[in-house]
Amino acid sequence: MSSSVLKYETAASTSLLAEVTRRSGQNLQACYQCRRCAAGCPVGEETGVTPDRLIRLIVLGDREEAVNNLLVWKCVACYTCGTRCPNNIQTARITETLKQMSKEAHAKPLTPRIADFHSAFMTSTRHLGRFNEIEALAIYETKTAIKELSQGKVKAVIDEMIGQARLALDMMKKKRLHLGVDRIKARSEVQALYEKAKGR
Amino acid sequence: MTQLAYYPGCSLHSSSELYDVQCKMVFNNLGIELKEIEDWNCCGATAAAKTNDFLAVALPARNLGLATATGLSEIVIPCSSCYSRTLVSQKTLAKDPGLRDSINAELSQKIKGDIKVSSILEILVPKARSGELAAKAVKKLDGLKPACYYGCLLTRFPIDMDVPDNVENPQGMETVLKALGAAPVDWSYKTDCCGASASVNDADQSQLLMSRIFTDAVARGANCLVATCPLCQFNVDAYQAEVGKKFGIEKQLPVYFITELIGASMGLDPVEMQVDRHFVDAMGLLKELNLL
Ligand code: SF4
Ligand code: SF4
Ligand code: SF4
Ligand code: SF4
Repeated sequence: MSSSVLKYETAASTSLLAEVTRRSGQNLQACYQCRRCAAGCPVGEETGVTPDRLIRLIVLGDREEAVNNLLVWKCVACYTCGTRCPNNIQTARITETLKQMSKEAHAKPLTPRIADFHSAFMTSTRHLGRFNEIEALAIYETKTAIKELSQGKVKAVIDEMIGQARLALDMMKKKRLHLGVDRIKARSEVQALYEKAKGR
Repeated sequence: MTQLAYYPGCSLHSSSELYDVQCKMVFNNLGIELKEIEDWNCCGATAAAKTNDFLAVALPARNLGLATATGLSEIVIPCSSCYSRTLVSQKTLAKDPGLRDSINAELSQKIKGDIKVSSILEILVPKARSGELAAKAVKKLDGLKPACYYGCLLTRFPIDMDVPDNVENPQGMETVLKALGAAPVDWSYKTDCCGASASVNDADQSQLLMSRIFTDAVARGANCLVATCPLCQFNVDAYQAEVGKKFGIEKQLPVYFITELIGASMGLDPVEMQVDRHFVDAMGLLKELNLL
């Protein structure tokens, strides 16, 4: 973790803490750093920053670190931390909030692949009203491939394509690949909800 | 025939269609007709929660409106992710009438009252306890040693609420399978996360998580895994060979939907239930145990 943990600025802290508390609906100030959450977090070993640390960063007002750490992006929303927290703090809600804040600030996501996946999912469901595995994966793979190719990551793109093709082939063999396109009749109703969401 | 409203979700209409087929077959055999709600939409899963708070509540809310319009008092949702999202939406709206009005304004079928939202275990466990399940069985699941895999979303919710099973050591699947003669193993990873969509967008992470699940299940002497969630089932089935190779786990375990095992005990045809569509072969063990 960076040395910025040691800095504490009242003004920065108050505004960041207030914003995250309001948007996530979690009472971050109740955290007494017992680290029960950290013990159960399945990605903690890889992210370095565990839920307790993330909360501490926010309380200290370190906006930069709070948005830019691996936990925000790698959190798998398993809700283990929140279920075990003696103070009922649901860190998955906090990582969701920080991800949204990062997007609003147009910050570059630390793990663009994860961000692109979620956005591909939403694009596909908005379009059809239902999730289409093939469409969403196609949007996701194309976005990722274009981005990685532009960064010269040719090998990564090829590996990814091979991996996906292998899974698709396996699915085809097992008759698990669904080639039909499911769409709902009242798509306008679903799209109206998407429109309303924008204004909030 | 009793009728229950039914929300299959996208998974059961695409890669996990087999689960849709089996749910209907097994419930039918128990005298329950699953009435799929008309023109349902995707619940938004975790992606909505990660991208937009309003949609995360509004998308399942539309389905709740449709479910209410059926006039039935209960809706069954087999996918844990859909189940969790729908329940959370319902509980959130109950506490926030403003939000509810705002969403209702866009809906042709309004949300009103509170239809009971159930996982399939909430229907099956009472039937196991009452002896009704065993009475329908024509074969015992002798020799079956399942590691029951609940994953995250059946017992852990992002908001405070009553959970119908033990949060850290749920027993629903065990109750059902024991009633049919199986001997579920005790193990430590039943509610651990498999990494969900990380299998697509963060493969190293999800494979590490899955390797821990497989290692423990094998070490406990399980001869199969059992799931009720199509997402959990898909991940631990489709990626098992790859993860096994990477982490040196030699034994591979078939990953059954609980409906396949109940179906087998009822004497339903495994091929009709599409048990032959698994990634890790699932027919072999049934044959070995004379359950075909
Ligand atoms: S379990 Fe709760 S109180 Fe304890 S450190 Fe984690 S968030 Fe803070
Ligand atoms: S919800 Fe996220 S932060 Fe909490 S334990 Fe799971 S992965 Fe870790
Ligand atoms: S959670 Fe998955 S299966 Fe359930 S409705 Fe949404 S996309 Fe579909
Ligand atoms: S175990 Fe995996 S698929 Fe199942 S609920 Fe957890 S993340 Fe989702």
